[in-house]
Amino acid sequence: MELKKSITPKKNLSISNKFSMSYGKSEKLAGIAFVLPIAVLLIIFMFYPMIQAFIISFQDFNLISQKKTFIGFDNYINLFKDKEFIASLKHSFYFAMVVVPVQGIISLGLALLLQKKSRINSFFRTIYFIPVVISTAVAATVFELIYSKDFGLLNAILEALHLPTVNFLSNPDTAMNGVIILGIWKAAGFFMIIFLAGLNNIPADLYEAAHVDGAGKIRQFFSITLPLLKRTIAFVAIITTIDAIKLSALVYVLTGGGPSGSTETTVVYIFRTAFEQMSMGYASAAAFILFAIVLIISLIQMKLFKSDVEY
Amino acid sequence: MKALTQLARYTLMIFVALIALIPILWMVFGSFRSHQEIFEYATSLNIHLIIPVEWTLQNYVDVIMDERNPIFQFIGNTLFIAVTVTVLVLFFNSMAAFAFAKLNFPFKNVLFICLMSAMIIPGEVTLVPNYLLMNDLGWVDDYKALIFPSLVNVFGIFLLRQFFEEIPKDMMEAARIDGASWFRIYWSIVLPLAVPALITLGIITFLANWDSYFWPLIVLNDDSKQMIQVALANFSSLAGTEWAKILAANTISTLPILIGFLFVQKYYIQGISTSGMK
Repeated sequence: MELKKSITPKKNLSISNKFSMSYGKSEKLAGIAFVLPIAVLLIIFMFYPMIQAFIISFQDFNLISQKKTFIGFDNYINLFKDKEFIASLKHSFYFAMVVVPVQGIISLGLALLLQKKSRINSFFRTIYFIPVVISTAVAATVFELIYSKDFGLLNAILEALHLPTVNFLSNPDTAMNGVIILGIWKAAGFFMIIFLAGLNNIPADLYEAAHVDGAGKIRQFFSITLPLLKRTIAFVAIITTIDAIKLSALVYVLTGGGPSGSTETTVVYIFRTAFEQMSMGYASAAAFILFAIVLIISLIQMKLFKSDVEY
Repeated sequence: MKALTQLARYTLMIFVALIALIPILWMVFGSFRSHQEIFEYATSLNIHLIIPVEWTLQNYVDVIMDERNPIFQFIGNTLFIAVTVTVLVLFFNSMAAFAFAKLNFPFKNVLFICLMSAMIIPGEVTLVPNYLLMNDLGWVDDYKALIFPSLVNVFGIFLLRQFFEEIPKDMMEAARIDGASWFRIYWSIVLPLAVPALITLGIITFLANWDSYFWPLIVLNDDSKQMIQVALANFSSLAGTEWAKILAANTISTLPILIGFLFVQKYYIQGISTSGMK
């Protein structure tokens, strides 16, 4: 309802006043009317909750007892002493530290493999992209069965190839690796497409010149492709890191955070604290720590990757 | 030598394709086999590890007839939400993008900076207060909770703004002189020129909503209103060892999206390419 109200005045304004008003004035009013719905939504559902979250993070606020008391930095101090929270940060970081380089190299490799424009290559691009379209819950459910110890597809294949079988999800030491493989399976095709776009942006005559100068393929890769791909690499690294640290639904459906908490990521921890224990203040403080971490990491990465190569 | 590298290349390409496809094929084919058959052939490497020996539709009958988990109702709920959100996202965000690209108005830059800074707020941080807001508004268990908070799409505004900026201003000025209102210019001149970008944003928005899991899990308590992803995860964890049924339910909710994707993949992939070029 609220939204409808905000559209109607704009229509009237621009129709009824189109002659009586100067071009500039009607343009101003039209501009305001056009951005109004988005501005209102942005304030209500982004900025207001953000401020609320900040306030709540300094409160002892339990949704069941309905009690709200200001407790200063207690939530933050307690969080840093909370073993479960620290462990959840470690799990998220472990996931990120493996996924960012491994997935980055795989998707860049796939992009290089399919770089040339041809029918066959675009067919394979589509195939590699299909896991991206599979929804998170479906992928996690199916992989849970594939990973299953006795009847899962993975162990059947490993056994037939005389490789040692794995028991990913029931062993706390390896469960995260099961999550990592699923994560990469699902996302590599997405970043392949981004790398392909970056590769297409590199002028072909650079390679021709290098070829004339006698530089081999490997030399060309390290002295042309990689440096000119720096911006794309930075983009992929930042996005993958942020996504990895915010890992949630995938792991929640696949393992529920188990076994014995070994795959509980920070967002799963926040979710549990807020909606199972109903500790809204404590969960908000944890969310803010996560936000600060994400912000700092992306700032550092932006600095590190700041490209001095222009093309 | 050249033939050999080509051979290696194609082998690698096919190997990766198998990794990408086998889990999906295993799901689809597994949904057509009996409960016993899946486990019977699960321990040795032969073609029947994946391809059914005796095809059956029984799992589909069971899943569709299951009255406690009406899968088509969940799919219908999700389609309703995803389509509604997509239409509204396209409408409101394209209007804002048009204003940012072509119109001069007060607070334009301030607002644009606010928009950019909203991009760095992760949804995970506002999960708790947004839930409290829904609680206060009485929107828990109400589809408004799924629709309204999802309407701002900052990425979409950026994408469309880039598109709109390339439209020559002369065209709009001519229309103004002919007496067209700003809304008419937006609706009849600007939007039709941006159809490819709108399709891209539409697909991205639709898929994101189809895929959403945590937010519906939090704001919907009434099972009959639930979204397909939450329903699937619940169904799968309750079904336990009934793998065939789990696979059938997952296949029903995946195949339409997958087939749809094959038709519109060009736009989707183009959109992702653009997002990497910022």
